[in-house]
Amino acid sequence: MSHTDYQELLPGYAIDALDPTDVQVLEAHLATCGECSVELNDLRDATSLLAHGATAAAPGDHVRAQVLAKVRAEGAPSHPAQVVQMSQRAKTGWPNLLRLAAAIAFVALLAGVIVLWRERQRDRDLMARQQEALALLNSSAATMIQLTGTQTAPGARATLVFDKQSGRAVLMTEGLPTPSADKAYEVWFIPKGRSPMPGKVFSVDSSGHAMISDYMPPEALQGAVIAITVEPKSGSAAPTGAIYLASPSS
Amino acid sequence: MQAETSKISDNELLKAIARGDEGALADCYDRYRLILFSLILRILHDRHEAEDVLQEVFLQVWRRARDFDESRGRAFTWLVTIARSRALDRLRASGSRARLATEAEQEPRESMGDAAEDAVRSEAGVIVRRALAELPEEQRRTLFMAYFEGLTQTEIAGRLGDPLGTVKTRMRSGLIKLRELLRDQRS
Repeated sequence: MSHTDYQELLPGYAIDALDPTDVQVLEAHLATCGECSVELNDLRDATSLLAHGATAAAPGDHVRAQVLAKVRAEGAPSHPAQVVQMSQRAKTGWPNLLRLAAAIAFVALLAGVIVLWRERQRDRDLMARQQEALALLNSSAATMIQLTGTQTAPGARATLVFDKQSGRAVLMTEGLPTPSADKAYEVWFIPKGRSPMPGKVFSVDSSGHAMISDYMPPEALQGAVIAITVEPKSGSAAPTGAIYLASPSS
Repeated sequence: MQAETSKISDNELLKAIARGDEGALADCYDRYRLILFSLILRILHDRHEAEDVLQEVFLQVWRRARDFDESRGRAFTWLVTIARSRALDRLRASGSRARLATEAEQEPRESMGDAAEDAVRSEAGVIVRRALAELPEEQRRTLFMAYFEGLTQTEIAGRLGDPLGTVKTRMRSGLIKLRELLRDQRS
């Protein structure tokens, strides 16, 4: 492909409308071409102008108060100081090895998911989550939690990786049975001494794989049990079904 | 910690938020709530959901403001991109994209550049809206389907029954015109 061919893909990429094969081709080029990266930033600025095409509407007045209350409750955004704390903790003997083993298991899971994705060829969402997972893995503030199958699903396992600063999290499951048509799995964050807080509702493919990106509630960032239950498809506000996966309580 | 933020630039505002200035976040909300809410509502077609997503967006702005890099684009782009991707995520999670898309098609065509609309918009918003109104109908439609419905070029071609190459060309021409508009505004 010539440079012009790549340039022609840029507008579609800026508006997230390229087909996955084109995305792969262009991203490989962008990694090495400064000129195209600069042009992409310009095109993204242009794309964002489309927001003005929406009919004007105002949110209710209560939203402002809710946003500010949540921000106040959460406190100042955490600073990179936490990164140091995390890497110090990683410097102890065995846990470090375990961490490495977990990282290897995680990458293996990821590789499995990538193979599946290649077979299907066309799942943009999954690809976005893959990239998110890789970005998370590279973040030095990443924390990893292993979930093991309960007696209900002894063959299941999952890994949750999250960024302690932003709460961004990716969950990957393996070996979960396919729930009946009216059911789905739901993630729960259970901070110590508090009731479970609902996360995403998801389904699995035929081999029990799923890859979900979510945000951890701030309350769960400093240690929480993560559990996965089966729930009605629309999700529940509190867990009602059997627990399939859970992290060890700390 | 709190500074007088009502007159400062968007970039400065995001820096103040990154330092944990709640007043700056409140100003950012006041400055951007209309455009962001309009965008989210256009994607989700549901006020309640849209208000919920708007809250998520500002929480994300609070947590991630220090990731904003002014060398890579405008603050406006950063904010709008967060709002759009959160709204599209919600749309996909609700699994009702097909239904919503059908509803959107049945809506009357948007009257671009309407005077009543202009009255509630910023000056920049009015200029952009007029520019959008001047785009050929097919270009605007193609861009809107990608932007507000999160459709790929192939999906749009399928939906409109047009060749893929035509969809790509329209999208490119439309965005290049918007880029020129932005350059004119800067100069």
